[in-house]
Formats: sequence, C-alpha cells, structure tokens
Amino acid sequence: METHFNQPQRQSAIGVLVIFLEMIFVLLKNIWPIVVITLLKAEGKSVWVGLLIALGIFVYFGVYSFLKYRNFTFYIDDNTDEFVINDGIINKTKTTIQLHKIQQVNIKQNFIQRLIGVYAMDVDTAGSDQKEGNIKAVSHALALALKSKLMENEGKAVIHESETEVAQAVETTIPFLKINLVSLLKIGFTSNYVKSIGLILTFFFTIYENLHQAGAEDLVDTDRIKVLVDDYSLLYTLMIFVLTMFTIIFVINVVRTLIKFFDYTVTKQKGSLMLTYGLISTQSTILKPEKVQIVKVSENYFQRKLNVLEVKIRQAISGEKKDSKSLIEIPGCNRSEGDEILKLLFHELPQKGVMLLPNFRRLIFSIFLIIILPLTAYFTFGKWIEPLAFHYANLALIYVLLMLTLLLFGFRNYRLFVSENHIIKQSGAWDVDQEILQIDKIQAITTSQLFWHKSLNIGSLTMHTAGGNITFHLGQFDKINDYVNLWLYEIETSNSNWM
Amino acid sequence: MTDFTNEKIDTTQLPRYEAVPLTSLHPNYWKELLVSRGLMVLMLTVALVLAMIFIEELVGYRWLVTTGFVIFVVILLFVSRMAYKKKAYAFRNHDVIFRSGIIATNTMVIPYNRVQHVALHEGWIARFFGLAKIEIFTAGGVSSDLEIPGIAKAEAEKIKQLLMGKIQKQL
Repeated sequence: METHFNQPQRQSAIGVLVIFLEMIFVLLKNIWPIVVITLLKAEGKSVWVGLLIALGIFVYFGVYSFLKYRNFTFYIDDNTDEFVINDGIINKTKTTIQLHKIQQVNIKQNFIQRLIGVYAMDVDTAGSDQKEGNIKAVSHALALALKSKLMENEGKAVIHESETEVAQAVETTIPFLKINLVSLLKIGFTSNYVKSIGLILTFFFTIYENLHQAGAEDLVDTDRIKVLVDDYSLLYTLMIFVLTMFTIIFVINVVRTLIKFFDYTVTKQKGSLMLTYGLISTQSTILKPEKVQIVKVSENYFQRKLNVLEVKIRQAISGEKKDSKSLIEIPGCNRSEGDEILKLLFHELPQKGVMLLPNFRRLIFSIFLIIILPLTAYFTFGKWIEPLAFHYANLALIYVLLMLTLLLFGFRNYRLFVSENHIIKQSGAWDVDQEILQIDKIQAITTSQLFWHKSLNIGSLTMHTAGGNITFHLGQFDKINDYVNLWLYEIETSNSNWM
Repeated sequence: MTDFTNEKIDTTQLPRYEAVPLTSLHPNYWKELLVSRGLMVLMLTVALVLAMIFIEELVGYRWLVTTGFVIFVVILLFVSRMAYKKKAYAFRNHDVIFRSGIIATNTMVIPYNRVQHVALHEGWIARFFGLAKIEIFTAGGVSSDLEIPGIAKAEAEKIKQLLMGKIQKQL
C-alpha cells in the first residue's frame, strides 16, 4: 500500500476477523463454565436452544465487527500535521493527535493477530493512562511505514537522546552525593513506623491463625502465660510487649533500609543524575531534572534532631515504565545535601515565599470526621447493642487524645508557600512533608468551593502535574484566585519545557 | 532578543479567570439528558414491576416500593437538572475554563500549551440532538482531563479546529 496515509484508510480487511475473534475470545473466557455445564447436562432440546443462541451471538458479533471495521479509519492530515482516528458505530469518537505530541508507537502482536498475520499499533502520548490510538490490524509493512511517518518529528529525537545518555553513563562519574551508613541507620531508626507495625501485626496474626488452625494451642503454654500475667501486673506485661514490638520494628526498619539503599550514590553527568543503590541487587536509575514534577522532602521530629531527611521525586510518567520509574527515593541526606539536590533539580533553591493558611473549619471538619463520628458510633453501639463495649472506654479515651494531638499538629503544619517560581505545600502531623512544585510544571488548575463557603471566602485549590496532583484545602479563596490568575499568566506567556 | 523587556507584572491587572462570563451548555443537552435518564428509569421500572409481580415477598410492600421509586426519580431529575444548569464553559485566548458541580463549584482551567490532544465524541442520543462532546487531554492523567458535553456539533468542530490551531502555535 502507499505510504502517504493522507487519505482516511481502514485497517487490513482481515481485521474484521481479528475484531470478531477477539470478541469471541473475551466472551468465551468469561462464560466458558456455563458453556461446559450446558454441554454436559444438555438434553436434545436444550442443545438446539443453545446452538440457536450461539448462532445469534455469532451473527451479532459478525455484524458488529464488520461495522466496527467499516467505521474505523485513520489518516495523517498533512496540512496540520495531525494523526486522526475515527472510531465507533453508534457512539462516534474522532481523536486528533498532533504528530509532535506522539511519544511512542508500539507495534505488537497478540495470539490472534499472530495467527492471522497482522499487527497491532499503539500510539501513545504523554499523560493519560489508556493508549490514545489503538489500531488492531495492519500489515507489518504498513505498520512500519506508519510508525516511521508518525515518528518523523522531535518526539523521536527525544527518545533517542535519552537512550544515548544511558550508553554514556559510564564515562564520566563524579560522585556528587554518597549516603553513608550512619545516615542510613538514622533513617532506619526514624521512619516507616506505621508500615512496620502493619508488617509485624500481619506476621503475628498469620502465625497465630496457623497455630490455631493446626489445633496446636498446647504448643503455646497458656498456663504459663497466665502465671506470668498474674505474677507481674498487667501494665508491666504490656510495657514489655510494647518494648519488644518497638525493638522488632527498629530492627526490621534498619535492616530493610540497609538492604534496599546500601551504598546509595548520586553521580552528576551532563545535567542529569544517576542513582545507584542496593545491597543484594544494585539498582541504577537516571533522573533528568526537566522530567521532575514534584519533589517531596519529609522530616519528622527525630530526623530534625538527627539532621537527616528523605527526598522523594516524582517524574513525568509516560508509556510502559509508568509505575517502576516514576517515584525515586533518596533516603538519609543531611540538610545541606538535600539543598544541593534541590538546587540541582530546580536550578535554584526553592524559597518559601508568601504563606497561605487553612481556615479553622478544616480542623473542625477533620475532628468531626475522625473523632466525633467514630465516638458516636461507639457510644450508640455500647448503649443499645452491647454494653460490654464500655469496658474499653480507656482505649476510646486514648484514641481521642492521640487523634486530637495528631489533628492539631496536622493543622498547624498545613501550609501553602508561594514564591516566584515554586509552590511548596507543607503537611503532616508527625512526618512533615514539603511537596515542592515548579510553577511551569502545572498542567491544569482546578479550584473548588462549597456553596456555603462562598460568603466565607474559603475554597480549595488543586494543581495537576504530570507526576500527580497537589491539593490545598480551605484557603482564603480570593487570594487563591489571585495566584491562579498569576500562574496562568506565567504558564501561558512562556513556552517552558515541562518534561 | 533586542526588544526583550522584563517589567514587573501588575498582578491586579491580570485577566481574572473567575470573572469570565461562561457559556452554558446547549438547551438540547437537557433533552439529551432527559432521554438518557428516561431510558434508565424505564429499564428500572420494568425490572421493578417484574419484581413486584413475581417476588411474593414484595407484594405487601407495593406502595412503599412505588413511593420510594418515585421519590428516587424526582431526586434524580432534580440533580440532573441542577448539574446541567451548573455546567458552563469558556474558551479564552490562552486557556479553556470549565465549571461544574452542584454542592461544590469546581472550576478547571487548562492552558492550551499544556493540551496533548483533543477528541470529539458523539453519543447516539447526542447525535440525535445534533450535539457533541469535546474531550481535552493533558499529560496530567485522568484527573486533569476535561470533557465538555452539550455543544452543537458544528460549533464543536470549530472549537476543535481552534484548539488544534492553538496547540500548534505554541511550539
């Protein structure tokens, strides 16, 4: 076929078969048990009914795939440099992708396509999760021709660039940052409590459950435990239990951090960063500053005292490598090293400019949601259903005090800082996170206001980036709007490269 | 670079996104909504009637079930109407604004130089009323994509052309 693609064209005619077989395949995958059962149990009459239904489905699928094939066209508009796909029988969609926005074109074959000898093509742009253009059946020659046609632009150049950089990675290596054992130990001691507690609890519960099921309660000598409990006071036992728990958590945390991040080295090369780490298997990742979307710097009370912080970097995501490479962690650098990294990523140290505070209603709302609602449920349960629940009133009190402290601290730390080029959102009760976002990385902005907040002049702000969203709830709304207008102006008057 | 200037921006003089007069959706979109909701209600009604005829336990609660269903339909229609009334859009020189939401008013702004691609979607009911939906995709994933329904087909085509032109000009 010609290699112009400037006229709307269909897929290979055999594509009807691909669509048809794929539909049959999906259907069979879902209903095969029913089919098998009917075949086994069938009497004369129901076999005929079944066959009729099958025939009906075949005809329907046949017509459907034919129409689907007829209505699916694609072409490249040479005047505007756009790739256009028309799809849909009853609900029609016309997708237009500008050629320079195309990041990847994948030529693939599944089982059915291999059987028939055609190829599928995925056209992928940055962002959205689904493949924007999906052509199901074209010949190999056509696929290659179309791919080269689609990639005749900068998008291709960009991909090649990153590949060559990987190749050159070995040449120049000046260690920029090396995280020593002490820092890793500090991080291991001071982070991820919740995660570890969860791990331990699941571990104990699984063991307990297994023992229980095996009927091996004798193994755990209940009498001896009882004696223990009687001998010492309950409080004492509890303390020992908590202490043991914490020791185990510490050990697990430290070991996990050491194994994962041992010998963490950051090297600088031609504007990008190369990270290598790991004890058992060495990981290495390349980080390009222009791909960075959101940087999160976390620190809790102990870490502040020990002068360590954790840096998490969210990159622009695209194509296949979405989950694995989008989040990069740099554990345990000290404050000046952290500043160095930020300087490298943002070309300057992000300043905390003007501070925006949340309205006190945010605190009240979270108290209502997290304390008052559960407490009401607890009291109703105790009063009307099971009075025994009140035996644990102490626990309820502890819960309320703990949550109240957490919420208060969380509210106190909840801030939005706006400077000339960066936005910093601070949040968290124990682990205080600072999410740093460069203004020209913003893809879209949403503001939101509940109707009864209109007269109070409070509202929320969400900034969407290619690496996730940052939301600031219940701030002073006219101020937020001022900033939104300013940011829009800045984004729209410059053509900054956001990835 | 010779005529490059870098004066201080007067932030009070910036165009305000929240003050832009927005265009409401085409009146036919309400009809489209009515038809699609109507079809849904019809299907539910059939299911409910069949259930009340064949499930004996339900027979005693006929009035209760019917009243509940009617209230549900009224609320559904009311909410749909409110949602329809609240939706509005505007295409400015450099960005697109879309407002929606009943309890919370959400306003989304996407600058044209962040748009990845655009699609025009015509549902079968919408086509019957000569309407189309414009879908605008950015690199920010699902949460920052925008769908503006209820635009007359010809106008939607024009808007799409405009958008594509704007995207291109930016580079």
